[in-house]
Amino acid sequence: MLFNSLTFVVFFVVVLTAYWTLRSWEARKNLLLAASYLFYGTWNPPFALLLFATTALDFWLGARITAAGTPGRRKAWLVASLASNLSMLGFFKYGNFLLANTQWLLAQAGFNYQPPHLDLFLPIGISFYTFHSLSYTLDVYRGTTTPTRSLRDFTLAVSFFPQLVAGPIVRAADFLPQAAQPPKPDTSRFIWGLLLMTLGLFEKTVLADTMLSSAAESVFAYAGPLASLDAWTGVLAFSGQIFFDFAGYSTCAIGAALTLGFHLRDNFRFPYAAVGFSDFWRRWHISLSTFLRDYLYIPLGGNRAGVVKAALNLMIVMFIGGLWHGAAWTFVVWGVIHGLCLVLERVLRALFKDAAWTDHLGVQVLLGLGTYAAVCFAWVFFRAGDFGTALRLVQAMTGQLAAGDAILPTREILQVLLVTAGLLGAHWLLRHTTMEAVVARTPRWLLTGLWSVMLFTIILTQGNGNAFIYFQF
Amino acid sequence: MHSSTSNSDFDFARAIPDVPWKTVVAAVALLTLAATAAWELRARTAGYAPSLNDTPDLWAEQRAKVRPDSLVLVGTSRMLFNADLDVLEQAFGRRPVQLALAGSSPFPVLADLAADPGFHGTVILDIVPAMFLAPAGSPPMAVSQKALRRRDEWNHAQKWSHRLGLLLEERVAFLKQEDLTLGQMLKRLPIPNRANAHIGPDLPPYFYTVDRDRRGRMFAQAAVIGSPLQQRVANGWLPLFTLPPPPSFIPVEQFQQMMGQAIEQRFKDTARHVATLRARGAKVVFVRMPVAGPLVQKEEAIVPLAFGWGRLVRENGVPAINFADHPELSSFTLPEWSHLSAPDSVEFTKRLVPHLQRALNGPGETATVATTRPQPASG
Repeated sequence: MLFNSLTFVVFFVVVLTAYWTLRSWEARKNLLLAASYLFYGTWNPPFALLLFATTALDFWLGARITAAGTPGRRKAWLVASLASNLSMLGFFKYGNFLLANTQWLLAQAGFNYQPPHLDLFLPIGISFYTFHSLSYTLDVYRGTTTPTRSLRDFTLAVSFFPQLVAGPIVRAADFLPQAAQPPKPDTSRFIWGLLLMTLGLFEKTVLADTMLSSAAESVFAYAGPLASLDAWTGVLAFSGQIFFDFAGYSTCAIGAALTLGFHLRDNFRFPYAAVGFSDFWRRWHISLSTFLRDYLYIPLGGNRAGVVKAALNLMIVMFIGGLWHGAAWTFVVWGVIHGLCLVLERVLRALFKDAAWTDHLGVQVLLGLGTYAAVCFAWVFFRAGDFGTALRLVQAMTGQLAAGDAILPTREILQVLLVTAGLLGAHWLLRHTTMEAVVARTPRWLLTGLWSVMLFTIILTQGNGNAFIYFQF
Repeated sequence: MHSSTSNSDFDFARAIPDVPWKTVVAAVALLTLAATAAWELRARTAGYAPSLNDTPDLWAEQRAKVRPDSLVLVGTSRMLFNADLDVLEQAFGRRPVQLALAGSSPFPVLADLAADPGFHGTVILDIVPAMFLAPAGSPPMAVSQKALRRRDEWNHAQKWSHRLGLLLEERVAFLKQEDLTLGQMLKRLPIPNRANAHIGPDLPPYFYTVDRDRRGRMFAQAAVIGSPLQQRVANGWLPLFTLPPPPSFIPVEQFQQMMGQAIEQRFKDTARHVATLRARGAKVVFVRMPVAGPLVQKEEAIVPLAFGWGRLVRENGVPAINFADHPELSSFTLPEWSHLSAPDSVEFTKRLVPHLQRALNGPGETATVATTRPQPASG
């Protein structure tokens, strides 16, 4: 079920009404659990069983970790959880990728191996709910969370429908305490949640789908050489599209959760105003970057074992971060580019740490624009289906083609430039503040007008029901 | 978006802006309702009325109705507009399933029926050679493939959204995905393109309705010769039926060779699919629907009838009906050169029925490659 669908509107109204009508907290949680599995099962009912199996196994393994008498046994149960979660993710998401690469490697060694093609259907949101569930056993093992005795509460934590299929990655440790006590009804929180849902849907349906997606699709699907203007427009369009699409989903999820009385953490903080890549990852898909930081980078040693080891750890994390997004080497290259930029940034920071001129506004703006340009360059590999397409685009963007084709209507170019300028301007102006603070000081008439315009333009898009990009991950 | 949170992992709450929310939300509801009502009024004033959008969902719904012995209509918008389902139902004793798609190559739908092991019914296939032989990756192929993909991936949530959408579309005039979405309105902004830009022609404006069975009907206004809508639609066909220049990044000879191979493969695949259907007991009839005016020459310039239609008829050995061979099928006025008006489509279907009955029950009709009906000698 998509947030931007009529089915969801009806589903949500029914769930909200029933939820706030019921008096018993246990009954409300049962309702949310049933609603979450209905939300998920409408895509492909059998995969709801897979979701439950993952959840039940981690619940049981969490209890085993707690009950284990020795560190070795605790570690063994954790390894069992890691192995079961990652092998399931690996099978569904990376099965064909691994077989194809094995075939290639064997061919290099002179062996002719024809692997079977696994006709796999990727369970939607598997990357997200695997991490929701895995965070529980990891935190129980680390001793940072107390295992729950309620399978129902844990199942709800993993499957809570606002964040189930495309994030934010909500750790069980953040959710379970909220499941312990019923939230008090709060009109302000409820309406603020509705406003966030409107904003998220506006980002998705109006900005990502209507204003930007066409230019991005045309440019990345074009098989020939592109004019520099068109290549840049397509890449800028995608940089905006993926932000509005993904941040839109996260904002909807946070808003929907608020209307039910649950608080989810931010997943985006105006990322295109980042100065440097470490700043970017503090602002982009925060739930993933903190997950990888806490459960991978720090256990690898983080930056505690010297500069070279820290750089290596960063590269490992970003390599895996790239692969998490999809089973293709183009995603790996995207991750590696980010890893290299993070390493380079650390070197530059070490060299210029005492230079006062780096704090000058003009320098900060230039560094911000440089970061954005590098992020866009990396998006080329993220979006391109193959390296041929990516290289053609890079050549066009860097003016290496004597002549390229102009394929975009002027209107689309203007739309992309207008939205991109607005996006960068808004992120820059808001980079040190919060949405809540801005809304609190916005004149009431302007807030009312903006919210109405967002709602009306959502209606004007007439809901094509395009899936969110991050569903495929 | 950034909000303040407390330090503890177990005790954080999002900040809620201090705003008189009840007043704001009431004002927003009123403003949005007023804007929506005004937009609906404007749409109705401009001549729009509540009607269904011809979406891949609606097509998938029809595809799901195909039974093993169904009478299935496959083709382009000409089949969609010209075939009257009531007349065909009366004639054949079962309601046809309309699977024709506007702007499509029907080849993928034919292939889909051939791949359906249970299907042994009747296929009436409208063939516009320039559309039917369109290469993979072209817009006509994409239309059919999008509809088929929807059928393949149609989940419960999408089915429910579709049904809810129908309820709204039957009541709200501005719900017109081909004309009144924000994206379509932006496309109509008069912004000139770069002189050297390779931009495809625009599709014609919204000018037909469909019902739940996907019976297409041309608007009455579009059938009035000389009306602005008729002019826009008719003139819209000419660039659409003009071959785009070959891609700049492939040598012309190589591109022509590739196209030649693709067309050759399409002939072979069609023969294979038709043979598969017939081997299962299915019947297939080819129909060439009426076309007129400058479109005849435009289509002939893309794929000559003798080459496309002639070869398909010859190689597949199925009954074929070319409107141009029959005076009673050729005597209609096509307001925008490509489709019949809604009233004429009923009469046309009545006149087509005897030909279809002969094709399905008798030794079969044969068709010539005449592009249009020879004009009677004057004087």
